[in-house]
Amino acid sequence: MSTAQAGTTGGYLGAISSISADDVPALYQGAKFYSPAVGEADKSALTAWLAGLLDRNGPVALRRPEAMPPDTRCVSLCVIGSGSAMADLPPSGDEFQLAVQRIEQLQGQPFGAVYPLAAATVSALVPVVAAAQLGVPLLDADGMGRTYALIHHTSMYLAGLSPAPLVAHGPTGESVLIEVTIGPRADRLLRANVDTLGGWAALAAYPTTAGALRRAALPGTVSRLLNVGRLLLERPTPDVLVARLAAINGCSRIGRGRIVELEHLSRPNDVTVPGHPSSLVLEESDGQRRQLRLELRSEIVAVFADGRLVAAAPDLLSLFDVSRGEIASLDSLEPGDLLDVLVTPADAVWYSAEGMAMVGLGSHGIGLDHPRRR
Amino acid sequence: MCPDGARAVLVVDDGTVLPVDVPPTHDVPAVVAAVVGTAADRVGPDALRAVTVDVSAMLLDAVVRAETSLPEVAVVRIVPRPAGDPELARSPARLVERLISHRWTVAGGHDLLGNELRPLDEACLVAVCAELVATDVRHLAVVAAGSQGRPEHERAVADAVQAAVPGARISAASDFGGQGLIAREATVVLDCTLGQLTDALLTTWEAALDQHAPGVPLRVARGDGGFSTPSRVRALPSVTLGAADAAELRGAAHVARHEDCRVLLRRPDGQVAGDVRRGLPVVRSAQLVELGTALVVPTAVLAPEPGGADGGEVLRVTDVPLVVVDGPPFERVCVGAATSQPTGWVDEIAYIESAEHLAGARREAEERAAAMVTANGAAPGTSYLIESSIVAVPYSPSGTVRIRVRVAGASEVPAAAVPEPAGSAA
Repeated sequence: MSTAQAGTTGGYLGAISSISADDVPALYQGAKFYSPAVGEADKSALTAWLAGLLDRNGPVALRRPEAMPPDTRCVSLCVIGSGSAMADLPPSGDEFQLAVQRIEQLQGQPFGAVYPLAAATVSALVPVVAAAQLGVPLLDADGMGRTYALIHHTSMYLAGLSPAPLVAHGPTGESVLIEVTIGPRADRLLRANVDTLGGWAALAAYPTTAGALRRAALPGTVSRLLNVGRLLLERPTPDVLVARLAAINGCSRIGRGRIVELEHLSRPNDVTVPGHPSSLVLEESDGQRRQLRLELRSEIVAVFADGRLVAAAPDLLSLFDVSRGEIASLDSLEPGDLLDVLVTPADAVWYSAEGMAMVGLGSHGIGLDHPRRR
Repeated sequence: MCPDGARAVLVVDDGTVLPVDVPPTHDVPAVVAAVVGTAADRVGPDALRAVTVDVSAMLLDAVVRAETSLPEVAVVRIVPRPAGDPELARSPARLVERLISHRWTVAGGHDLLGNELRPLDEACLVAVCAELVATDVRHLAVVAAGSQGRPEHERAVADAVQAAVPGARISAASDFGGQGLIAREATVVLDCTLGQLTDALLTTWEAALDQHAPGVPLRVARGDGGFSTPSRVRALPSVTLGAADAAELRGAAHVARHEDCRVLLRRPDGQVAGDVRRGLPVVRSAQLVELGTALVVPTAVLAPEPGGADGGEVLRVTDVPLVVVDGPPFERVCVGAATSQPTGWVDEIAYIESAEHLAGARREAEERAAAMVTANGAAPGTSYLIESSIVAVPYSPSGTVRIRVRVAGASEVPAAAVPEPAGSAA
């Protein structure tokens, strides 16, 4: 069992020291909250795989970067590509381990820890897989605190760390090594290869040290995700859920409504970014009876209420299916679903000028000021 | 039809539910005779229009109890390379995995958009066929990565096995579509093992109908709340899984006279809730609780409802009428099955480049779903769209969408053209 150390040695609420098989359901639920892109198609296979590894190899230690020797070499991991592709072409099991080992071979030094590039979606689970396979700790930190579309949309990149060298290892058994000097070039080079590798790949990137991550990564995001997941597993009422989420991560409810329309290609399309623009229209079922319009990419990027912008990226925008008591994933939405639209502030770095330029509304072609800046 | 025996009700065209006085029994001819008698006495001679049977509880019971009469299944996965981790090599559902006696991986497969990832390993396929011949397993489930869009590799394996083992029953995942290799594999394993039992059950009902009500068609309840023909269900038994849940939701809504409502159902593990919209249960390709794995055939969405017991506070939120059911479920299941319609479902990935392309993809999916409805027993020209949703697939190449379409139809010409009183039973 993992250990919750509220406000003690971890230094922040709900710090967790290890992840065991018992934590996998909470990990999955938390991963869904931090990205509505997670579907259910591969849930049972992925969670059985991770739980099996943790049962066989023992719990994975979860360490803050400050708790590691500063020269400990660390590498981030994520799934690049779509969860749907991964569901239809499941891992063989060695992809993440081999991606890490390829960079070790290249640099001639082993890694002493791994960390999530993005603590959300299935990308929250796979670093735990790799940590269990490699026998190293997992860092309680990540580069996004949620998910963004491109691999340089990270706090590490904002802090001056390079994503390269990076390795994408596909379920086909093939891999790609990318070495670039300009971070955004890495994503462009990577995407075309990911499609050829089967639609998804295990990505190892941002090789660095624990010392560098103390200032460059977002701390405590794995513990936070697990705490959110545990709360979701309790299946509280929507009002209780929001109240308790508010205490963990500042979440609040924008409104509740039924889906009345799904629109596609509803904004100009940038084909270099995965997922295409689409929109979701909800009719509020109580309160002010507003029309809520949600602009989507691979995540929800903006919410308008009766035409007024009320929340936007980098805010984390989530949908809670109040009829079923669970987070709704974007690939399962249907007209008629009754949803709460939730907003959670992102980590502070994303509201800086540099962060907003990278992942704010402007990056989605919406030229409006962020509501938090008005 | 349940493991403790079959029961029936009669539903008249005006929606009236008439009890059929027959105790739970495995004597199917006796049940059919009671239905025919009730219809004649209460509605009129020759009034019985159709009989809909729900066999899902029988099939599920056989799987859960691991009946030795269920044949063992061999599985061929077609993926670029085999799973190296034991958990990834098997089904996460224990009940499904124990049905499987042999597993092979043949290199091959496509991505979601239909691009070949590996040529099919023909030499490996020959070796697999030789090994299969040497076993006594004659039921084979085949699942290939990407077969929803490109079934060629699955078909090549099925053809080779059929040639090597001419009597083999082969289920291929491309017959079902849907998302997720593990869910598709579980669906075809169940489909393969349940074929004999399904055939036996339907043969019994057909014989009883021939005896007591010749000419009255038999329909089979589906997991999506609709029905299909016996021949279609014999070919794809998995489509019946979960039919009792869907029928119970529909039946409860019918009895309460609600087109749109939320129904609270009692289950041994606690209370669950499901929604009914426009008279049909809300369904998804989702996990069937009893099996512990997702399937790609649509089944009723049932969410745990910790509140609401005995009509108390309900914790989940809804803005439609709440129907709290009482008493044993069989009458509601029978009513739901009897009032069901032929239905069809498409769930697929497509790639679109423009609004026109999107409209074309939607239209094509709707046309295919309408064709399925006709194959499932709808009168030509009666199909209509229940739901159609297209969502972008997150983190996929721009333009990748998931299309889901649900279509229903009418099994008869419109009621106005049928002057005599009519009824149907389940």
